[in-house]
Amino acid sequence: MNCGQVKRLLPPFLDEELSGRVRESIASHLASCPACRTELEALKADIHLLKQTETPEVTPFLVTRVMAEVRARKRPVPHGFGRLVGSLAAVLLVAVSIGVGVLFGSGLAQTSAPIAENSTEAAVSYVESSTTGMYSLMLGGD
Amino acid sequence: MLRAQAGDMAAFEELVRRHQHGLFSYLYRMCRNTSDAEEMAQVAMVKAWEKLGSFRGASSFKTWLYRIGTNLCFNLRTRRKPTEELSETMAAPDAARPEQAFQQKVREEVVQRALGRLPADQRAALVLSVYQDMSYREIAETMGKSVRAIDSLLFRAKTNVRKVLAQDRAKGII
Repeated sequence: MNCGQVKRLLPPFLDEELSGRVRESIASHLASCPACRTELEALKADIHLLKQTETPEVTPFLVTRVMAEVRARKRPVPHGFGRLVGSLAAVLLVAVSIGVGVLFGSGLAQTSAPIAENSTEAAVSYVESSTTGMYSLMLGGD
Repeated sequence: MLRAQAGDMAAFEELVRRHQHGLFSYLYRMCRNTSDAEEMAQVAMVKAWEKLGSFRGASSFKTWLYRIGTNLCFNLRTRRKPTEELSETMAAPDAARPEQAFQQKVREEVVQRALGRLPADQRAALVLSVYQDMSYREIAETMGKSVRAIDSLLFRAKTNVRKVLAQDRAKGII
């Protein structure tokens, strides 16, 4: 490894981000190269200077402010798995409700048409209320 | 984390307590203004609560939260220039050791000026590395970049800081 390559790798070397073999190559080069050692020391001095500074203390009211705002907002809506389960359950309920509606509808012959329509409406209504209930349950809400 | 995701506010409050100092410190180094840093930390945490449902655990909660903060910070920087208020925000000088207090103040100003001259992405990478002790992978997650890009950003940031500090050293300021 030449000096140019080593100088380019000194920051990740110092940050311990390099693999063992590359680290060993750099360490070996540094052992025999005063110029690169000087470069490494200069880099360390810069980082040391940056770290010598202070940050002002965060206000003790930050947590209070954040939580007050959080309480004023809605709870997070479940994503991913929770939402997928909710959607699948809704589809399943629609299918079952329609199936039940068709079954009862065919069994009641001619006079059943209005009842079947009512059944579908009832099924949709049931699905809507069930879905809402399901999300409420998952959220632990009212 | 899972409890907070399920809507447990006490669990979320614990997360806020755990990360408030680090997040504020990072944002302060980025925007050089206490009020802006506090406001951004607050907004970032409230956003985190709102988006908690979309957090899939591919990264740590810390890097995810800092990413929200980073985006807020970059957006703020594009809207207006940061206003420095360094002298007012630092601890009061130690009256018993005025010389050390003065040296510390000078160091603070030199460092903040050096950081302030970096492009926002270089500055973010450097601050996350030096002050938050994040690995390159964690910085990459926080900034939405590759590890290789972070390595490059940090190399350029450190080279640029070196140039600024060398000028101050040549002038005998530090």
